[in-house]
Amino acid sequence: MDIQLKRGILDVCVLAAIKDGESYGYKIIKDVKPYIELSESTLYTILKRLEAAKMLTVRSQEHDGRLRKYYHITAEGLRRIEEFKNEWKKIMGIYQFITKEKDND
Amino acid sequence: MTKQEFVSRLRQGLWDLPKSEIDERLTFYIEMIDDYIENGSSEEDAVAEIGSVDEIIKQIRLETAPQMNKKREKRFKTSTIVLLAVSSPLWASLLIAAIAVIFSVYVSVWACVVSLWACFAACAACAPAGVVLGFAYIFSGNMLTGVAALGLSAFSAGLAIFLFFGCKELTRLTILLGKKAFTLTGHFFSKKENEND
Repeated sequence: MDIQLKRGILDVCVLAAIKDGESYGYKIIKDVKPYIELSESTLYTILKRLEAAKMLTVRSQEHDGRLRKYYHITAEGLRRIEEFKNEWKKIMGIYQFITKEKDND
Repeated sequence: MTKQEFVSRLRQGLWDLPKSEIDERLTFYIEMIDDYIENGSSEEDAVAEIGSVDEIIKQIRLETAPQMNKKREKRFKTSTIVLLAVSSPLWASLLIAAIAVIFSVYVSVWACVVSLWACFAACAACAPAGVVLGFAYIFSGNMLTGVAALGLSAFSAGLAIFLFFGCKELTRLTILLGKKAFTLTGHFFSKKENEND
């Protein structure tokens, strides 16, 4: 996949993984992996970026004697998902245009 | 590779990054490894899943490079400022002395030029005065002295013309020299500023 396109999509994929409830690193990767390649280092950067953009919050919780970080989506994050959905509705229209068969006159 | 080996390899590879940065990333990776282990992977497999240490280090360096350069720039500027402030009694007095020397040299050059103009003025004054004196002597009978005086005034006039052109050229050159010296010092100081940036 085109790298620029991928970069824009991955952020929203991570947001989608925590859309319906908070999640943690390992689970986010597991949820996203069937659809798009996501490495641990990339995820770290994305999570940091989304936190800086106030699209998610982080909290630490004890789990099995160790600390685990849980990520929770914010209103801003949900807004970004909606924005993405609208952008892609337009792109799907363009896709129809690109793949349309030549009209026989 | 064991978890411990992974951690120490990563610490080694990122030795020059701020400690908080390294610790934060390590916490993230260790948590990930532990989750893989919890879900059935062996420690070796979990570390392998995370990816090669060298690749991770390379990626982290790529991301943090612009930040590091900015920090280095800022650090350099603050230390330069502190250094300048602390040593100011030394360099400030030296600078003032240097300026004084340069200025006095410049003034002396101009003094020479002015005195040459004075010579010109003297010669220029001599010429008509000599003519008047010469004719006075001639009319009072002193032919020899009169002619001598006229001769001298002609000589003065010639010298005055010569001096005039000489002084004009010298003045022009001195002004040019002053301008050049001024722009040179300007370039010298702005070059220093650029180095510091």
